[in-house]
Amino acid sequence: MQNNPYVPIPVDVEKIITEVTTKDIKTFRFTFVNKEDEENFKYLPGQFGELSIFGKGESPIGIASSPTQPGYIEFTVQKAGVVTSELHSMEEGTRMGIRGPLGNTWPIEYLEGKNIVIVGGGFAFTTLRSLINYMTFEKNRSRFGNITVVYGSREPGLLIYKDELAAWEKRDDINMNVTVDKGDETWTGREGFVPTVCKEVAPSSENAVAVICGPPIMIRFTLPVFFELGFSKENIYTSLEMRMKCGIGKCGRCNVGNKYVCKDGPVFSLAELDTLTKEY
Amino acid sequence: MEKRVIKKDALAGIIKNISNDMLVYAPVQDEDNVLFKVLESGMEPLVEYANTKNAPKNFFFPQTETMMKYFRTERGKELSEVVEDAADAVLFGVRPCDARSFVLLDNVFDDPKYKDSYYIARREKTVIVSLACVHPPYTTCFCTSVGGHPMSSEGSDVVLTDLGDVYLVEFMTPKGEKLIEKMGNLEVADEALDAKKQELSDNAEKEIKSHIPANDIKPWLDENFENPFWDTIHRSCLACGTCTYLCPTCHCFDITDEVKGEEGRRIRTWDSCMSWLFTMETSGHNPRTSQKERWRQRLMHKFKYFVDNYGAVACVGCGRCVINCPVNIDIRKIVTDISKL
Repeated sequence: MQNNPYVPIPVDVEKIITEVTTKDIKTFRFTFVNKEDEENFKYLPGQFGELSIFGKGESPIGIASSPTQPGYIEFTVQKAGVVTSELHSMEEGTRMGIRGPLGNTWPIEYLEGKNIVIVGGGFAFTTLRSLINYMTFEKNRSRFGNITVVYGSREPGLLIYKDELAAWEKRDDINMNVTVDKGDETWTGREGFVPTVCKEVAPSSENAVAVICGPPIMIRFTLPVFFELGFSKENIYTSLEMRMKCGIGKCGRCNVGNKYVCKDGPVFSLAELDTLTKEY
Repeated sequence: MEKRVIKKDALAGIIKNISNDMLVYAPVQDEDNVLFKVLESGMEPLVEYANTKNAPKNFFFPQTETMMKYFRTERGKELSEVVEDAADAVLFGVRPCDARSFVLLDNVFDDPKYKDSYYIARREKTVIVSLACVHPPYTTCFCTSVGGHPMSSEGSDVVLTDLGDVYLVEFMTPKGEKLIEKMGNLEVADEALDAKKQELSDNAEKEIKSHIPANDIKPWLDENFENPFWDTIHRSCLACGTCTYLCPTCHCFDITDEVKGEEGRRIRTWDSCMSWLFTMETSGHNPRTSQKERWRQRLMHKFKYFVDNYGAVACVGCGRCVINCPVNIDIRKIVTDISKL
C-alpha cells in the first residue's frame, strides 16, 4: 500500500566515518536507492529517522546532515544496542532502510532574525551540527544573527566532526568555543567544563535563543548559567530522547505527559517542558 | 434509515449463511469462555451471551500480525512483501461498549498525519454489527459513566435489538446497508417498534448499576502528577498486563523482527505499559522506574492524556479489567477514590 508509514525507505550505506578514538561513534552517510524517495525526504534540522535493519529492528536517531547538503543523509550513531551494533559492523555498500523524517524541527522560523547560541556536549551534537550547517549555508546565513557555539567533550579524542569544527573555527561569522574537560599533550585548545565555558563566553540574551543538547549532568549545570545571563525559558530549546518503536505516535511508549516525543517532539522549549510531567 | 426485523430463531442461521460468502468474526463458545473468533464453515455464532472475554479490537489490531517480509540479498536484507491481508468481513455480535472502542481507536490509528494502513484497511472493509444490551450483562458494566450507553449505536454499522420475539435490525451506515441483501428476505420493521425500542433503552440505562465520576477527575489529574495517592494503588499489581490486553481501547504495541534462514518478517504485537521493559532504554535508563509510575501512566493515559488529545476518556466501561484482574484492582474504585481527594 502507498504511504504505509511502517515501510522503510531503501538506502545504501555510502560512507562510514569513525568519529572518535574509542571507535564507538560513527557517522553513516546514506544515499537513497530511488531518486523519488530522495525528493520526498524533506526535512529540517532537529528531526530524526528510524534506522531500520531487517532482522535486527529499528533505532530512532537524529539526522546529523543538513537539508542544504543534498544527495545524501547522515546519522551519527553510538554503538549501544542490537541495531546500532549491527550498524557498526556494516560495510560501505550495504543496503538497509530509513523511516522518516520524523518528529518536529528546531524552531527555524522562530530562530530567524535572532542571535543563536548553540551548546552541545559529547555525542549530543548531531542535530546541532545539522542546525549549524543549515544556518551557515551561504543562502541562509543572512536569515540569522550572530551564531555562538560552545561544544565540549571529556577529552580531545571524543570530539566529533573534527574537520567541520576546524572549518567553522576559520569562519568569521561564527563564534566557536570548543572545549574539553581535560586535554592531552597534543591539545592546544581550551580546557574546562561546558557550563564554565558558557559562563566565560557569556553570550548576550538580547534577542537571542539558546539551543542546548548534552548529557543530563551538563544540562543541569548549564541551564542556571543561561538563566543568569537573562535567557527566558521560552528562549531555551532542547531535544528529548525516549524509547520508541513506531515513531508516529501510536505504539504508546514515548509520551511525556500528553505529548509523544516522537510526534510532538523531540524538540521542546523549556517553557513547554515546564508544562509537562518530569517523566523522562 | 433502513429497518428490518429478524425472527429470534433465525438470526444465528442468517449470520452463518453470511459466513459462507465472507469472513465473519463472531462470539463463539470456547470451553468456559465466550470469545470472538472467525466463524469456520458450518459454525453458528452465539446470539445469547453476556459479553466476550476478549475485546474485538483483535480483529483490526491483531495481537500479533506480520507487517512485512524480507529476504537476504547480496547487499543486505531487502523488503520482499508488505503484508496487507484485509478482506471484506463482518464483525458480528459486538456489544455497544466495544463498538464505541473503535471510534476511540480511530483517533490513534487514523490520525490526520499518520495513517496506520493495516488497521485502516481492515476497518474500511469490515461491517460492524452490534447487539444492543437490552439488559446490561454485568454488575460491573459502567458504559454510561464514560460517554456510552447500553443501547448506543456509536461505532456500529448495523444495530440489532432484541425486542422479545424479534430482533429489530437498524442499518446505520451505507456500509451497513450492503448487508441487507445478504441477510435474505427480511420483513420491513413497523414504526411502532421504535417506541418499544425506546422503552427498552430507557430501562437498560436504569439497569446500569455501576456509576463512576470518570469525567470529573481530570482537573485533579491535571494538577497531581505528584501526589501521595499514587503510592497506594499499584501495590497489589502483579504487572501481568491482563487489564491492558483485554482492554478494548488499549493500543500500545511493539515491533520486532524474526529471522529464519534467508528470510524474515517484521511483526507487530500488543505491548503493555504495565511492563518495566516497555520504556526501558538501551542505556539502562528507565523513565518509569516502578509499578507506581506505570499505574499512573495507565490511569493518566485513559482519563487525562487521551482527553487532552482526542476529547474523550479512553475507557468504554466494559468492565473486563475489573472482572479479570487477578488481584482485584478495580479501576472504578480508583476513579471514585480520586474524585474524593
